[in-house]
Amino acid sequence: MDKIRIALAGNPNVGKSTLFNRWTGMRQHVGNWPGKTVEKKEGTFQYNQQEIEVVDLPGNYSLTAYSAEEVVSRDYIVDEKPDVIVNVIDAANIERNLYLTVQMMELGANLVLALNMNKFAREKGLKINKKQLSELLGVPVIEIEAVDDTGSDELLENIAKVSKSPNIVLDRLEYGNEVSEHIQQIEEIINQDISGDRDIPMFDAPTSWIALKLLEDDPEIIKKIEESGKGQRVLGNVKKIQKHFNDVFGDDADAAITDARYGFIAGLVSESVKKPKIDKITRSDLIDRIVTHKYLGIPIFLIIMWLTFQITFTLGDPLGGYIEQGFAWLGETVAASMGEGFLTSFIVDGIIGGVGGVLVFVPIIFILFLVLSVLEDSGYLARAAFVMDRFMHKLVGLHGKSFIPMILGFGCAVPGIMATRTLENERDRFLTMLIVPFMSCSARLPVYALLAAVFFSAYQGWVIFSLYILGIVVAIIMAAIFKKTIFKGMSAPFVMELPPYRIPTAKGAIIHMWERGVLFLKKAGTLILALSVVIWALSSLPVGVEYASQESITGQIGTTLAPVFAPLGFGQWQATVAIIYGFLAKEVVVSTFGILYGVGEEGSGGTATEEAANPEFTGEQASSEQASAESSAGSASGEEKAAEEETAPEEDPGFISAIQELFTPLSAYAYMVFILLYIPCLATLATIRRETNSWKWPAFAAGYTFVVAYVVSLVVYQGGLLLGF
Amino acid sequence: MSLAMAAENENLKIVQVGHGGKFKKKLSEMGLYKDSQIKVIKNDIPGPLIVDVKGSRLIIGRGQAQKIMVEGNNE
Repeated sequence: MDKIRIALAGNPNVGKSTLFNRWTGMRQHVGNWPGKTVEKKEGTFQYNQQEIEVVDLPGNYSLTAYSAEEVVSRDYIVDEKPDVIVNVIDAANIERNLYLTVQMMELGANLVLALNMNKFAREKGLKINKKQLSELLGVPVIEIEAVDDTGSDELLENIAKVSKSPNIVLDRLEYGNEVSEHIQQIEEIINQDISGDRDIPMFDAPTSWIALKLLEDDPEIIKKIEESGKGQRVLGNVKKIQKHFNDVFGDDADAAITDARYGFIAGLVSESVKKPKIDKITRSDLIDRIVTHKYLGIPIFLIIMWLTFQITFTLGDPLGGYIEQGFAWLGETVAASMGEGFLTSFIVDGIIGGVGGVLVFVPIIFILFLVLSVLEDSGYLARAAFVMDRFMHKLVGLHGKSFIPMILGFGCAVPGIMATRTLENERDRFLTMLIVPFMSCSARLPVYALLAAVFFSAYQGWVIFSLYILGIVVAIIMAAIFKKTIFKGMSAPFVMELPPYRIPTAKGAIIHMWERGVLFLKKAGTLILALSVVIWALSSLPVGVEYASQESITGQIGTTLAPVFAPLGFGQWQATVAIIYGFLAKEVVVSTFGILYGVGEEGSGGTATEEAANPEFTGEQASSEQASAESSAGSASGEEKAAEEETAPEEDPGFISAIQELFTPLSAYAYMVFILLYIPCLATLATIRRETNSWKWPAFAAGYTFVVAYVVSLVVYQGGLLLGF
Repeated sequence: MSLAMAAENENLKIVQVGHGGKFKKKLSEMGLYKDSQIKVIKNDIPGPLIVDVKGSRLIIGRGQAQKIMVEGNNE
């Protein structure tokens, strides 16, 4: 038996992805639609020994050419002709959702309607007569609950049935005499002039749909008609009819067609849906009264953000500690079994040290993404956009929607920048991309954690918190400056749906977290692995030089550039080297210090080996010096681990004293400020390049952030000196 | 009057959408078009509004709401 090809379509937030995840589990593939920055999700599953291939179309309100998501969806329906389209509908919101359904019917799509969230609809007092609706539309209507298995079998049964005998839906639509007549008029001309020409792929779509789209002034369809070379008469007539609409209705043809669609839907709804006389107040409304309250909204938002970071670090730190121990053990084991030598140094210092130093942060990053996914899936992030809009408008001139990418930026700038896709206006989108990197991402945290533990042990939390706030303040200032200069002009109009609150499913949140977290893992596996090797090589060459000493290539580069940073308080070559590598990926700053000082003060190469052979020595020393760092560190350090932590940077006494020689508390703070603000990491720049499709923006982002970082650090350091710190 | 000035919990009908082109289309796709019946759920000045449209909730910017004209609807 052939496999059935189905597509999932529907408005945003109707539970499409939940259904997709339920069906395909982890057998899904996430990529991009060819030539577009729109995510494409595909997967397969079995039903009755039949293979079903499913594509999750982007969530849309419509099938115009308004956004890339809509074009992708309709091109897929027209060109790929899936056997069945499952239209997921939020039952509580059926009237608005049917607008998309009707447009898919215009395309002649073979539909099955899946009514989701019926419990919520009932709570609102809606009674939907599925049988009636199904008869009126000529397609099966099935009640499901995407979060559990309710209706799942019935839905699949109907998909299989409909795939064999498609429904004819075109003649179900009734748009009133006026609109129908004109559509027919154009249809006839298209049939006479163009339709013989089967080379034009678009004409797989029903002619009535093409006529309708022409009346709606759809730029893509007009272009295709023009390209066919035979469209003069068609387009001429379209213009005439559009003028006629303007004269008769005092509104454009577009509006008349919208009205006709909503009119048809109103008819459907009045016959198949019973609404309560008085709107019931839902639980969602009750929660919103508090969460979006004029005065309570912002404090609630701040508390939720604070909790997010609390949860992340309370859970993530100990887990990171285990990974740290794991790598330390691995390094020792490898070193012990291979003996000392060049290759050992390469594997232990270069690869295990470099990549391990970064993988320690994987738990924190994944947990942060998990919490953010839960916030998103529950519907809270949309409320955050609402609450922050007032604030963003006044200060920055961006609307609240831009705030979501900024929040994601706290996890990692890469998904943050990708999330700017939801902003329709290009100016707002580019502006948001330029400020997202100032949100202190989780990769920068290890740098703060290290320096704050060494220099500000008593005020560690506050020091780190101040850096997060500084990032936000700089982002706001820069956004305000950009808005008055390069992105002058009106900001995009703001309209978005406020989905009802929902209890997020574990599966959905985990898949969500995984998709984003994997981006970081890929970076760690490729870029950071490669960089660790480069750092190691540059630190070991020229041959014969002491590893990571000032005579190595690394040391020489650092020494040459160091004077540039002297006015900022960190003119030492080691600090400069870390800044250079940090550009490649910010978490590398810590592993660079790790590699540079991994050798310890004696600098004889292969520390791991040396210290591994001498555990009591480090253990004893650690106890005194570590005490202060450990008591407040809140990081990873249980008593029982102490003996095994020779290679953990924050715990190594030799390392700590080396760092203490390098910085004063003031210069350490200036250094953290610099790390926070300077050039976004390579992966971020690559994402900006991909999303803007130009090298101009990443180049600009790199240049301006460097200047900002230099200036702010300079002010912090010199100002601090004046104040006598 | 403009939507931005409407009182909370009052049933309204849109009489004119003073936006052009793409945004007008976008609004109509989301349910805000001439003759559609809506209700303001939240109107805290300053800041965006929350509007009930056919049972769903939309956030709309204050600037955008100023260009949408509404009248009381007591059908």
